[in-house]
Amino acid sequence: MIRLENVTKSYSAEVTALRDVSFEIPKGEFVFLVGPSGSGKSTLLRLMNRQEVPEKGSVWVAGKNINDLPESKIPFLRRSMGNIFQDYKLLLNKTVFENVAFALEVIGRPRHVIRQQVPAVLELVGLADKSDRFPHQLSGGEQQRVSIARAFVNRPLILLADEPTGNLDPTTGEGIMRLLERINSTGTTVVMATHDTRVVNMMRRRVVQLDRGIIVRDQERGVYD
Amino acid sequence: MLARISYALRETFASLRRNVTLTAAAIVTSAVSLLLVGSTFLIQRAFDNLLTRWKGDVELIVYIRSDASVEQIQLVEDALRSQPSVIDVDRLRYLDQAESYAEAEKLFAGDPGTLRLLTPENIPSQFKVVPIAEDSSLVRELGEQFRQLAGVKEVAYAQDVFDVVSRVSQFIRVATTAMSIILLVVAVGLIWNTIRTAMFARRREIEVMKLVGATNWFIRIPFMLEGLLQGLIGGVLACGGLWGLNSAWSGAVDDFNDTELAALVVSDGYVSGVMLVLLLIGALAGAVGSGIAASRFLDV
Repeated sequence: MIRLENVTKSYSAEVTALRDVSFEIPKGEFVFLVGPSGSGKSTLLRLMNRQEVPEKGSVWVAGKNINDLPESKIPFLRRSMGNIFQDYKLLLNKTVFENVAFALEVIGRPRHVIRQQVPAVLELVGLADKSDRFPHQLSGGEQQRVSIARAFVNRPLILLADEPTGNLDPTTGEGIMRLLERINSTGTTVVMATHDTRVVNMMRRRVVQLDRGIIVRDQERGVYD
Repeated sequence: MLARISYALRETFASLRRNVTLTAAAIVTSAVSLLLVGSTFLIQRAFDNLLTRWKGDVELIVYIRSDASVEQIQLVEDALRSQPSVIDVDRLRYLDQAESYAEAEKLFAGDPGTLRLLTPENIPSQFKVVPIAEDSSLVRELGEQFRQLAGVKEVAYAQDVFDVVSRVSQFIRVATTAMSIILLVVAVGLIWNTIRTAMFARRREIEVMKLVGATNWFIRIPFMLEGLLQGLIGGVLACGGLWGLNSAWSGAVDDFNDTELAALVVSDGYVSGVMLVLLLIGALAGAVGSGIAASRFLDV
């Protein structure tokens, strides 16, 4: 599903985020990217949805080298992936329903599809009864669920998660992990960057550990360390 | 498709409401600059009308002394009629003192000081002569001969006036065109800034849109529509202003109905054409200005 070949990416002469990184993520896998801040986890995610382009090497998604993708095709790549973030990135002036509907609206889905799919995905994340609330009326965990609903409503092949439990207490974080696990069980590939030791140890999934831009460990059913 | 259109329209109007002050500033500036552009067109047209009329009309006026005898006047007329190769004898017109005074009353309506010096008794009567010879030196030669005739006070060449008016009109053409271009650039700049502000206020929304796979055009179009509307509303205001200005002007010129100045009236058809051009320029400038602004902020 995702393959990186000898990828090098630096932000300036001094800051090299990734050095000659190669690894592959098969379809349907759940992968943790772990490592300290600045080790290159977020950069990896940003390479996967073409927010960044590597200097050297290539990034393959669903059989296509996305470095060669023309600017006009990038939106269509991104429609096949969902993104969730530590800070949720919800639109504060829109309700829960509208935030999720927004993702479908801006890719031109007709209204009857939106009316049908948004309640279904809100049901899945357990927020069916809060669809008219605004983000500030929700807890952090609930807000993250909204952002997961938004990322998943389009049934993407891949879900990219950047520190999704970073702002949440352990119990709430665990709930979010259960939800991601459920999404993964529908066949969606999940790539999650984190330095949350507890959730990694709890899940026992593949762990790719980075240190200063180099992969230092790649372990099936791994723990944080 | 319908969903996209309704989305674009909803976003456009929401954004217009959010930035009322900036929007108003952009609209007013584009209205003023477009009004100036329109006025330039109309002023030019008026001058062109006047010049065309003069060119094909009177080019030589032979003023007769107020104390000239009837015989002397007859002599001048006969001399003029004996030159059918140089002048159009059929269009030769004699204005006696009463007619000349009536014309002067209109010409100097705004200048009572000059008018007070004139009376139907002291005003010169005049022959209005339309030359047909292409060669203007021939006309001048003839004019010099007439200057020698008894009873002739003065010979005036419309060519001289024509040249002055031409030069004035050329100057006005350059000045108004330059001013309207500068103002138009300012208007585009203001629209650009309004859109930039609108996009900055919504950068989070735009970031999310890009991440969930909205195309750049999808994001850009509401902003471009917003700019287009600002330009278009400015254009509509400018058209209203232009119409008002033109009818006031036509009303004023109407008082000079039977003098050359009547040529300064611009036909309604031409005014409508100019208005259409203004609307087009407004819409285009707005869409282009905002399109550039939008593109610059889409690199998330």
